[in-house]
Amino acid sequence: MKADKEKRRMISRDAARRRRRVESEVFAELSRLLPLQQSVQDHLDKPSVIRLTLSYIRMHTLLKGITGKKAEASHAVKCEQVMESGEEWRGCDRGRDDEEKKTDDVEASEETNMFLRILEGFLIVLSTEGDMIYLSDNVSKYMGLTQTELMGHNIFEFTHPCDHEEIRNNLRLTAEEVWCGAKRDFVMRIKGALTHRGRSSNLKSATWKVLHCQGRAKVCVAPSSVSCLLLTCQPLPLSHTLLSTHTFTSQHSMDMRFTYCDQRITLLLGYSTEELLGRSIYDLCHTLDTNCLTKNHLNLCLKSQSVSGQYRMLVRGGGYVWVESHSAVIPSVRPSKSRPGAHQPLCILCVTYVLSGVEEPSLQLSLDQTVHRYLR
Amino acid sequence: MSARNAAAGGGDRARGEPAEDVLVEENQSGSVSLPSLMTPSSAACMSLSMEMPRKRKGSLDNQDTKSSSIPDADMEDIQNRSDGEDQNVKIKCFREPHSQIEKRRRDKMNNLIDELSAMIPTCNPMSRKLDKLTVLRMAVQHLKSLKGSASSFSEANFKPSFLPNEELKHLVLKAADGFLFVVGCDRGKIVFVSESVTKILNYSRAELIGQSLFDYIHPKDMGKVKEQLSASELYPRERLIDAKTGLQVQADLPVSAARLCSGARRSFFCRMKYNKIFIKVEEKEFQASTSKKKESQKYCTVHCTGYMRSWPTSHLEMDGDGEPDKQDSSYYSCLVAVGRIHSHSSPQVNGEVRVKPIEFITRFAMDGKFTFVDQRATTILGYLPQELLGTSCYEYFHQDDLPHLADKHRKVLRSKDKIETDCYKFKTKFGSFVTLQSQWFSFVNPWTKEVEYIVSTNTVISYDPGRTSRSEVKSELSSSSKTSEEDGNKSLQVILGISTTPGAMIYAGSIGTQIANELLDFNRMNSSSSSGSISPFSLPQDKCPQTHNQISNNMPNGGATDMEIPGKSSSEDEPQGAAFSGGESLMVENSQLDLDSVVGPGLSSLSNDEAAMAVIMSLLETDTNLGEAVDFEEMHWSS
Repeated sequence: MKADKEKRRMISRDAARRRRRVESEVFAELSRLLPLQQSVQDHLDKPSVIRLTLSYIRMHTLLKGITGKKAEASHAVKCEQVMESGEEWRGCDRGRDDEEKKTDDVEASEETNMFLRILEGFLIVLSTEGDMIYLSDNVSKYMGLTQTELMGHNIFEFTHPCDHEEIRNNLRLTAEEVWCGAKRDFVMRIKGALTHRGRSSNLKSATWKVLHCQGRAKVCVAPSSVSCLLLTCQPLPLSHTLLSTHTFTSQHSMDMRFTYCDQRITLLLGYSTEELLGRSIYDLCHTLDTNCLTKNHLNLCLKSQSVSGQYRMLVRGGGYVWVESHSAVIPSVRPSKSRPGAHQPLCILCVTYVLSGVEEPSLQLSLDQTVHRYLR
Repeated sequence: MSARNAAAGGGDRARGEPAEDVLVEENQSGSVSLPSLMTPSSAACMSLSMEMPRKRKGSLDNQDTKSSSIPDADMEDIQNRSDGEDQNVKIKCFREPHSQIEKRRRDKMNNLIDELSAMIPTCNPMSRKLDKLTVLRMAVQHLKSLKGSASSFSEANFKPSFLPNEELKHLVLKAADGFLFVVGCDRGKIVFVSESVTKILNYSRAELIGQSLFDYIHPKDMGKVKEQLSASELYPRERLIDAKTGLQVQADLPVSAARLCSGARRSFFCRMKYNKIFIKVEEKEFQASTSKKKESQKYCTVHCTGYMRSWPTSHLEMDGDGEPDKQDSSYYSCLVAVGRIHSHSSPQVNGEVRVKPIEFITRFAMDGKFTFVDQRATTILGYLPQELLGTSCYEYFHQDDLPHLADKHRKVLRSKDKIETDCYKFKTKFGSFVTLQSQWFSFVNPWTKEVEYIVSTNTVISYDPGRTSRSEVKSELSSSSKTSEEDGNKSLQVILGISTTPGAMIYAGSIGTQIANELLDFNRMNSSSSSGSISPFSLPQDKCPQTHNQISNNMPNGGATDMEIPGKSSSEDEPQGAAFSGGESLMVENSQLDLDSVVGPGLSSLSNDEAAMAVIMSLLETDTNLGEAVDFEEMHWSS
């Protein structure tokens, strides 16, 4: 009896082992088909293999919709131009051989790499459920986690819980929005596993990184309707290089009242730095932009960094200019032994770029402007 | 993987809370608002917060570095146990039975397999659920077929990327809405521009390459761009902002060569031309900008970010230009940058008026005084913004609408929602009325939660048929004045003490202040511990009119039937008719005797004390107004 049981157990164990082996082989075969480097392929675990396979299939479907017809169309246009201008155009698809295609491919790759490098960000393709279908491979530079570690996972696993609501709102796409290629622009916090020096650490010691995400919706209709978001994600820098006379910096208390302003503002907006102290930025902007500023302020309070959209700041005495602000919350600095005098409460630091000249200089829109007009 | 899986597979924990497998409660608020938990101090923590929640190893599908030969469950256990320091994880290990971990792993795997089968075309039609192995095998087949169709070439030294390069390029450009460009620093010659520029600026590559960038930049921004391209020491140096201190730090780097060589970063905005008409490229004759009419040129704001780069000229093929960089003869320096369009809000071009619906925006201080008036108001109301600024909105509302608007005013100060008013009449400069309907909301500073001002979006519902000239208005009103004089007299009797037109006039303006004061009082009374302290003004209801009476006697009782509206800055012959009509109509309506009609509609909703206080304050207000604003000498009397 006992021997029988033993025998049965052994058979089932062998069967199980065989099944596992077969399964592992199939997994290995699948991983070899993925367009990844051999070293990476060998080290993938089973769930990762499936994740990446899913990503590959989804991207393939998506891209067929994006690049299929359009690529042909753009080729045709190019050819037309070629014929008209008489210039030689490598993009034209007449009689291209493999050699040319390869060079094109290399060019495309270089251009893309350069693009991403200059942009200082990475690309992400998100499904409407938040699955990160695709990430460009430079994501490791910003998040410390590699493309293969992240692809196929859900973005909600990596972002700050308080931002989930906002992300969900942004992922929601109506049919109309998708067809118009609706734009998206928002700020979110994501886990970054990088040390100060930029080396990858592991997820356990990850810190929050603030990302500015911009992009648009995309749909592909055949074979199945799939819509997703294409976003570029840029970490917001904490230090800015200012090289222009058309920018100024300012510091604000947390309620957005000025506590300091650099003197460039006098040249650009007419206010002296003293008269701005204590004034709220909401008084100094065009009412139609209240929403934009509020969003910016909220982002700052919640996420500690933000990029405003373009808004109008009223110029002293009349008119307004279009500006864009990049801001961050500076943690409070308490006097320490090394710096006994330095005390700074929690405050907001803004770098504002002035985009336009003064528009409608004779138009007074706010009470403030009328006062300034008549006072000297 | 859906969020559900994330939850199942050991979701995030915020701030290292006790290690229960609970999905963090998310902010349920519909709008983006500061969570109620957020206090200034916790915000400080948050901005400093670098503490990461501990993440279970399992949720990253185990470590990617280990091969899958070792049974997963064991691996995880070993990992967890080796995490000696991590108390939470240890506790979790003990709390959670092994079987749970295993179950979760299996569930995850099953979900993945299900998703995979949904994606593979051959699996889909199958009615019954396929087993794992079959799905995997089909996946292998599918991948093979996909790879077969795509144009691929395998080169050993070619680094494979997950996506074919062309496709990736398309994706990036689609997402970023940008174009790559390289311009020479000496003269701004466009050396290279990517194809995507066509979609953005509507110029073809051929049109742009070789041209000067300055031909495509808004004239006022040329100085800015020149500065960015130049390396001259005359221009401001780099200013960096130290993240820790928030102070500006002057970069002490030597300016000349260092700035040009690798990596000096540039970031600026400039306005670039975009081509509205699609023109076929005819190379010889086509000039980018000079032949175009400047006034029809449209610009869009482009955010350019990039690096300075320099190459030795010997490495470049200079096609006949030949002139080397002035500063450094052997190097050709360029800006390599990406230009992106942000279109957050479409700027209103001068003169463009949105046709429907006709609306304009205004801002009031809490007491109803205009602090901001959109220029569109002028075409609708006749007043220039500066004529309205500083005056109270109540001076322009038709008397019929005062009650309900005052009520909405009260509401909006106390609520976070947008309040819609009913249609009401607003007096234009010419004396006629337009019917408006507005949406008000009180703008609250996100940090302090205090009301800063009220924003009003006003839509025009209808104009009064025919705007009358002043003379007509006058005659109209004088005729109506005759008929209403009797009423006016009647109401004079009925309304004790309050008076005559001057008082009523000012009263209109003070409604707003009153409402604002009510709010302040309300807040004050709420914030201070409500003891049963009786206000010094506690008077029973019936006494109020008397009090009223007494105080009103102090007011100069001009018998004036019309007078200039205080607060209006103009001293010329402002439509007396208008003033007249305003006062008149007010009188006509208020025929009942009670606090409501005399002082303010809806006042009876407040308690006696508050009511009394409000009355006093309004009268004090009018008193002050009389003191400063009105110069009786200048009053115009109707003839």
